[in-house]
Amino acid sequence: MSGGLLWILVAIGLAVVVIRRRSVAVALVTAQALVLVGFALYDAKDAGDVAAAGALAVRAVALAALFLLLVSRTRELRPVHARVPPLVRAVAAIAFALALTWLVPTLGLDSRNGERAVLALVAFGIVTAATRRATLFHVLGIVLVENGLALAALELPGGGSLTIEVGVAVDLMLIALVAGVFHERIFAEFGTGDSAALRTLRD
Amino acid sequence: MTSREQLAWAIVAIPTIVAVLVVLTPRRAVTAVAVTGAFVTAGLALALGVLELRALGDPVVGNWIVVDAAGALLVSVVAVVGLATVLVSPAYLAGADSSLGPAHRQQHTYFTALYAFWAALLAVPLVGNLGGAWLLIEATTATSALLVGFSGKARSLEAAWKYLILTSLGLGVALLGIVALVAGIPGGGIGALSWRALGTYSSGQQSALVAYILLVAGLAAKIGWAPVHNWLPDAHTEAPPPVSALLSAALLPVVLLVAWRSEHALAPVIGIRAGQDVLIFFGLVSLAVAIPFLWRSLPWKRLLAYSSLEHMGVIALGIGFGTPLALAGVAVHIAAHAVAKAVGFYAATPLLEHEPRAAERSVTGIARTYPALGGVMGLSLGALAGLPPSPLFLSEVLIVAGGFQAGRSWPAAATALLLALGFLGLAHALLETTVGKARRRGGRHRRESRALAMLGGISLALLLALSALALWLPGSDLVGALLAGIT
Repeated sequence: MSGGLLWILVAIGLAVVVIRRRSVAVALVTAQALVLVGFALYDAKDAGDVAAAGALAVRAVALAALFLLLVSRTRELRPVHARVPPLVRAVAAIAFALALTWLVPTLGLDSRNGERAVLALVAFGIVTAATRRATLFHVLGIVLVENGLALAALELPGGGSLTIEVGVAVDLMLIALVAGVFHERIFAEFGTGDSAALRTLRD
Repeated sequence: MTSREQLAWAIVAIPTIVAVLVVLTPRRAVTAVAVTGAFVTAGLALALGVLELRALGDPVVGNWIVVDAAGALLVSVVAVVGLATVLVSPAYLAGADSSLGPAHRQQHTYFTALYAFWAALLAVPLVGNLGGAWLLIEATTATSALLVGFSGKARSLEAAWKYLILTSLGLGVALLGIVALVAGIPGGGIGALSWRALGTYSSGQQSALVAYILLVAGLAAKIGWAPVHNWLPDAHTEAPPPVSALLSAALLPVVLLVAWRSEHALAPVIGIRAGQDVLIFFGLVSLAVAIPFLWRSLPWKRLLAYSSLEHMGVIALGIGFGTPLALAGVAVHIAAHAVAKAVGFYAATPLLEHEPRAAERSVTGIARTYPALGGVMGLSLGALAGLPPSPLFLSEVLIVAGGFQAGRSWPAAATALLLALGFLGLAHALLETTVGKARRRGGRHRRESRALAMLGGISLALLLALSALALWLPGSDLVGALLAGIT
């Protein structure tokens, strides 16, 4: 994958870390997945690769539809502010990504730049889930990590496994669906999708 | 296809079919369908365990299916706990006043999710490759999260959310490790992830070690190993008691088996000692983190949850020591922990009816006010504490001895010390819970007492049988098969 495309994917990931609106974040992770779909189709060598790209596309569109539905059904009366300001989140995400790149010597992917982009997306996903209070952002953090892993599969020297890629797409949709059920129930119970309300269980 | 392969497919297919059947069944017949399906599933799983026991040293190893000694042990444990969970679930549902789904579909929702969860749990030890195992573990997250949050109450929603997010992120890290492994295995594709192919990794020892650490660190979040265990106490506490039993006694060791198999399969590449060091690290940290909580006055289910953290640490240490004595201890520990822990969680249903405040604070003197319940809780806690002749006492002795046998004197000594501290904490909890000062008067529980006496009797018999097994196991062919793994 070209350096330019990798930078686009990483920049979109970083935007998800700092962006405020849930709907914009949904659009960003979907765009990121569609960029991956485009590259997967461009790089496809056989029918299996095309099918894997198709699974990624279905996953991207289905998740976008689900998340936008959730956003429309759970409108917040007041904005849910993150625990950490956007600039600090961005710095933390970049620092974590650099630390991961330094700690992980090599993953054995086609290019070192590809590996760095994968690790950056994983780091951004974890930071998003850890620093955002809106429950939907926690799920978007997981999707960001999975987008990074989809990139890793595309950067594998011998190509990925269709079975595993379809399986991962199905599993992620299942997890997102269950998360959607809980997001709605949390909204109904607490009147907000703010995870600050979910802090009663402590020792 | 051999009879063991056919059984393996059937063991996964039957609960999957029952999960669908339950949806279509009229409300009055749901329990009957669920109970029938449970007996069939458990019967098949135990048959597979017996067949594997008769063919030790000759595992079935394919790209999709594996039947070996460790897998058969786990399938048998999951089957027994699953059967018992289905049998005690109607008692829980009878008292459940709220649920995630519509009230008139409460039983359908519960048993469908329970069977889907059980099917995935049974499939993990039988799947022939790491990729499939990861997919199935992810599937257990989706199905079990629905069960953790089943009551739909604020606290259970919080626990389910934490569980879903933390374990999904952990599994994302594990998947990164898997992708890194695929990158170094010639051939690629699903075949590259079969347990045997993992040993052909050829991109260097350092890269393999990084991939292995990512994989195990990710799985640790699901196993509930410290320091990534945060979801475990909450999910175990807030899930319906029968589900808590399945989470602790079946889910945790099943995922641990995947870490075990990965360590075994990658040992030729990363070095036996390096792989074991990672497990010993997680084992010791889990024990050290769990012990202070075992000394505190905690609500019953929360105490059992921290005990799970302790016991998963002990199993990790046994696998990390990797000697015949330690692995004999691991086999007994997995089975005995399952029995003792499941019984403890099953007792939570009558306990919460008897003393509703037990959900939020520790209970005392239960044997004074409700002798049958106190007896069952005492049996569970005594066994989990490692009070002789509990099989967990014998398995812990075997694991510590195995540590010294492996030349790991310091970790073995630390394990012995931490286990002694854990024993003291749980022994204190045992005395307080059963014969401490009662906070309320007793009531009439004649019918429930009979059921509890039966549960206690069966559990006691199983635990004593496992104690006898612990004495016989070292030096047996079963330990040889566990040591050989999938070769």
